[in-house]
Amino acid sequence: MDELDLLKKDWKKQDAHLPHIKAKEIYPLLLKKSSSIVKWIFLISIAELILGVLLNFFTADQRFWEIIEDIHLKTANIIMYIIDYIVLGFFIFMFYKRYRAINTTDSASALMKNILKTRKIVKYYIIYVLTSSGITFFIAFIFTLLYSNKFEGLRTSINWNKAIAIGLIVTIIFIGILWGIYTLLYGILLRKLKKNYKEIKRLEI
Amino acid sequence: MYTYNKNHRVLSKKTEHIFVQLLEENQNIVHKICRLYTNDQDAHNDLFQEITIQLWKAYPKFRGDAKFSTWMYRVALNTAITLYRKSKRSVKTQEFENVAFKIKAQEYDDTEEKQLSVMYAAIKQLNDIDKALVFLYLEDKNYTEISDTLGITEVNARVKMNRIKKKLKSILNP
Repeated sequence: MDELDLLKKDWKKQDAHLPHIKAKEIYPLLLKKSSSIVKWIFLISIAELILGVLLNFFTADQRFWEIIEDIHLKTANIIMYIIDYIVLGFFIFMFYKRYRAINTTDSASALMKNILKTRKIVKYYIIYVLTSSGITFFIAFIFTLLYSNKFEGLRTSINWNKAIAIGLIVTIIFIGILWGIYTLLYGILLRKLKKNYKEIKRLEI
Repeated sequence: MYTYNKNHRVLSKKTEHIFVQLLEENQNIVHKICRLYTNDQDAHNDLFQEITIQLWKAYPKFRGDAKFSTWMYRVALNTAITLYRKSKRSVKTQEFENVAFKIKAQEYDDTEEKQLSVMYAAIKQLNDIDKALVFLYLEDKNYTEISDTLGITEVNARVKMNRIKKKLKSILNP
C-alpha cells in the first residue's frame, strides 16, 4: 500500500467532522448573486462594447459636425460610423456566441478554454477600437492642419515632416497608455485563470 | 396563461426542493473541496455559497442519466479552480518540491498520524490543478472519471498522479 492509499483511508474519516448545512439554510443561498469571474467578464465586456457607442452619442453634437465639415471629413466620418456599427454588431454577435458556450458542466480544461476565448473576442474589439481611433485621430490632425481656418496663416510655413512625426508620436503615446490600462485590468482579473490553464495544458502534452 | 404560470411555478418549486435535497445529501463533497481550496472559515463559506449558486444555475442541464454526485464534482471543482475569484484568500500555492522539502526538514516524524498531517499539509499547498487530481483520487474516482472531469488524457492523469505519489513517498521515507 502506498502513502496516498494511507491517506485515502483517512480521507473518508473526515466526513464525520465536516460541517452540515440544513436544507432550510440552503434555500436562501439559491437567491444570492454569483460573484464568479465569468460574471465579471460579462459585465466589463458589455461596458466596453457600449462605451464606443456612448462616446459617439455624447461627443457628436452640432459643433462637432461643424468642425468635421470645416476640415473636409464629414463624409469620411459618416462612413467611419457605419463601419464602426457593423463591426460592433459583428463583435456583439461573436461575444454572445462564445459567452453562451461557457458551461460549468464542461471539463475543467474546456471551461477555461471557453472563458479565455470569450475574453479574446472583446480583446480583438478593443484592438480594433484603439487602432481605428488612432488612425482617425491622426487623419483628423493632418486634415486640421490642411483645411482648418485656424491654421490659415501658418499653413505655408509648416514643416510637414515634423508635423507628421509629432502627430504619429502623440497618437502612439495616447493609444499606448489606453492599451496599458486595459491589459493591466485584465492581467489582474485573469491571472489565476491563465496560470491554471497553462498548468492543465502542460499536462495535456 | 395563468394556468401555465401556476403550473410552471409549482414545477420550479418542486425542482428547487429536489435540488436542495440532493445538495443536502451530497454536501460533504462541496465542503471537502472548500477545505482544500480555502484557508479560513469565511472563505470556506464564501466558496460554498458560490458553488451552490453555480450548481443551481447548471441544474437544468443535469439529466438523470448521470449520478448527481458525479455531476457535482465537475461543477464544484470548476467553480473552485476557475470561477471563484477571491484568490487572495485561498492558500498560496508553491512548487510541490519546495513544500515537500520544507516540511520534511521541519517536522518529519515516523508515526502514522504525523505522516498523515504532513501529507495533508503538502496536498493543501499543491497548485489548483494538482489539488483537483489528488482530490478526485482520494474520493476513489477512477482515472477515466478523473481525466473526464479535468479534460486531460487518462495517460497523463496517471503519469501526474504517479509523480505526486512518488514525491509523497520520498517525503515520508527519506
